[in-house]
Amino acid sequence: MNGQYASLLIALPLLGAFFVPLIKGLGKKAIKTYVLIITAIQTGIAAWVFQEVYSTGKPIIVIAGGWKPPVGINLYLGYFASLFVLIVALASFLMAVFNFKAIDVEPIDKYAMLFLLLMLGATGMIATGDIFNLFVFMEITAITAYALTAYNKTGEAAEASLKYMILGGIGSSFFLIGVALIYGATGTLNMAQIAQLAGHINPTVAQVGLALIIFGLAVEAELFPLNAWAPDAYQAAPHPVTAMFSAFVVKAGLYAMARVLYLMSSVGTWHNVLRLLVVMATLTVVVAEFSALRQRNVKRMIAYSSISQVGLIALAFALGTQAGVDAGVFQMVNHAIVKVLLFLGVGYVAVQLGGAEIENFRGLGRRMPVTAFGITVGAMAAVGIPLFNIFWSKLRIILATIEVGYTWAAFLVLAASVVEAVYYFRLIHAIWFEGEGERISESVPLMAIVVLLVVLVIAIGVYPNYLWSVSQKAGSDIFNVAQYIKNVPLMGVGA
Amino acid sequence: MSVPHISAFYFGAIALVLIGLYAILVKKNILKMLIGLSIMETGVNLLLVSIGYISGRSAPILSEGIGPNQAVDPIPQALVLTAIVIGVATTAMALSAVIVLYKRYGTLNIEEIRRLRG
Repeated sequence: MNGQYASLLIALPLLGAFFVPLIKGLGKKAIKTYVLIITAIQTGIAAWVFQEVYSTGKPIIVIAGGWKPPVGINLYLGYFASLFVLIVALASFLMAVFNFKAIDVEPIDKYAMLFLLLMLGATGMIATGDIFNLFVFMEITAITAYALTAYNKTGEAAEASLKYMILGGIGSSFFLIGVALIYGATGTLNMAQIAQLAGHINPTVAQVGLALIIFGLAVEAELFPLNAWAPDAYQAAPHPVTAMFSAFVVKAGLYAMARVLYLMSSVGTWHNVLRLLVVMATLTVVVAEFSALRQRNVKRMIAYSSISQVGLIALAFALGTQAGVDAGVFQMVNHAIVKVLLFLGVGYVAVQLGGAEIENFRGLGRRMPVTAFGITVGAMAAVGIPLFNIFWSKLRIILATIEVGYTWAAFLVLAASVVEAVYYFRLIHAIWFEGEGERISESVPLMAIVVLLVVLVIAIGVYPNYLWSVSQKAGSDIFNVAQYIKNVPLMGVGA
Repeated sequence: MSVPHISAFYFGAIALVLIGLYAILVKKNILKMLIGLSIMETGVNLLLVSIGYISGRSAPILSEGIGPNQAVDPIPQALVLTAIVIGVATTAMALSAVIVLYKRYGTLNIEEIRRLRG
C-alpha cells in the first residue's frame, strides 16, 4: 500500500469529530459506539504503519499537497512516531471502551468530539515534521485538554481548567517566541532543515530560542515548575481523559521537547540547555514524589506519581547520549501501559464506589478483586519492582545517568523511588488488608482490558528484550539527527 | 525616507509580552489575568511579524511593480494569522470557564478560588 495513506492518521479523527453531530440524534450509546469504531480504525491504521515502518526500516514521509519540504509541510513517521502513534491510538481505543461506564454527564456529543480531537492533537504532535505545525497541533491538544478538564462542569473542574489554561497560554506564547527566534535565524520552519542549518546560527540566539521552546513544551510535559496545573486537571477531568493525559498527552509534549532538543544538537551552547533540563527533570521527580506522599485522594496521588515518572523520562532525554534516549523511550512505553492500567482501575473504582478517596479503597480486594489485582500490579510496576516492566527502564535510566556523570541526579531519583514505594504500599495495604465489604460484579469488557494490561506489564517485565530493541530503534530515530535529515527529501531552496 | 531601526519593533513586542506576563503574575482578578494573556499573545504576534519585516518593502501581495524582491517575508504573516485564530479560541474557552467558575464560587478573586489543593 502507498505510504501516503498514513495521512489518514490525521484525517480520520478530524473527519470523525466532524461527523459526531450527525450521530447525535441516535442517542448516547450510538455516539459512544461511534467513538469506539473510529478509534478502532485508527488503531488499525496505526498498526499497519507500525508494521510497515519496522519491517522495511524506512520512515513513511507524507508530503502534504505534493509540495516538497521545506515549502510544504511533511509528516514524518519514523521508528519513534510509528510506535507512539500506535500507543496513542490503542490507549484511545481502550478509553473509548471505558467511556461506556465512566461518562454520563451531558453533552456526550461534545465529549466525543473533544475526545477524538485530543487523539488527533497528540498524533499530530508526534508525526509532524514542521515546527510551526507542531505548535498548531500542540494548541489543538491543549485546547481540547482544557475543555475536557472542565467537562464535569463543577467548580473544581473549572478551576483546574483555568489554571491549566493560564499556564498553557504562557507556555504557548514562549514556544511561539522561540519559534520566531529560530525562524529569524534560519529562515525555515522545517525540522530537518533547521537541523541542517543549526550549526551555522548564532549560538546565543539558538540557545535562547531552544530554551524558550523547551520552556513552552514543559507545560505540556509537566516539568517542574510549570506543572502546577497537572494534579488538579488529573483530579478534575473525567476518568478516561485522565488516563489519556498521562498515557500520551504528556508523552507528545516530551517527545516534541526531545525532538527539538536533538535537532539543535550541533549548536555550540547546546550543553547549557541540557544542564537546565537535567535540573528541571530531577526537581520534578523529587517534588512530585514528596507531594504524592501527602495525598488522600488516590487519583491525585497517582497523578503526582505520573508526574514524577515523566520527570524521569525528561531526565533520560536530557542526558544527551544514545543510551539515555533509548532508556527514555523504553520508560515512555512502559509508563503509558502502567498508567493506563492504574487510571482505568482507579477511575472504575471511583465510578462504582462514588469517589477516589483512600477510604474507598479499603477492602477493595474483597469487593472488586480483578480491579484490585490490576491496581496492585500497576502500583508494584510503578515502584519499579523486578519482574515488572518499569524496573528495566528505571534501571537503564539510572545507569545512563551515572554514565554521563550526573551521580547526584541518579541518587536523588533513587531516593525518590523509596518515597514512591511508601505511598504505593500504603495503597496496596489498604486494598488487601483493611476493611470489609460485599462483592460487586465487575464489568466484563473492562476486566478484559485490565487483564490484558496486567499480562503486558508482566510479559515485558519477564522478557524485556523485544520491547527494548524496539525502543532502541525508536530512540535512534530521535538521537540520530543526521539520518533524520537524510530521510526528509528536502528541496534545494532557501538554505 | 527615515524608517526606525528594526530593533525598535522588537523592543515594542517584547515590552508587550512583559506587560502581559506582569498582569498574569500579579493581578488577582481572573479577568485581568486573561487580559494579560491576550496582551502577551499580541506581543508575541507582533514579534513574529517584525521578524519577517524588511524595512521599506510592501505587503506580500504580487501586483504591478511589486515582485518577490519588493515584498516582505509572507511566512511570518501567515503564522500570525494562525496564531491569532488559536489565541481567540483559547480566550473564548477561558472566558466560558470563567463563567462556570463565577457561577460556582461567586467570585473572580484568584485567592478565594482554592478548592483544589494539596
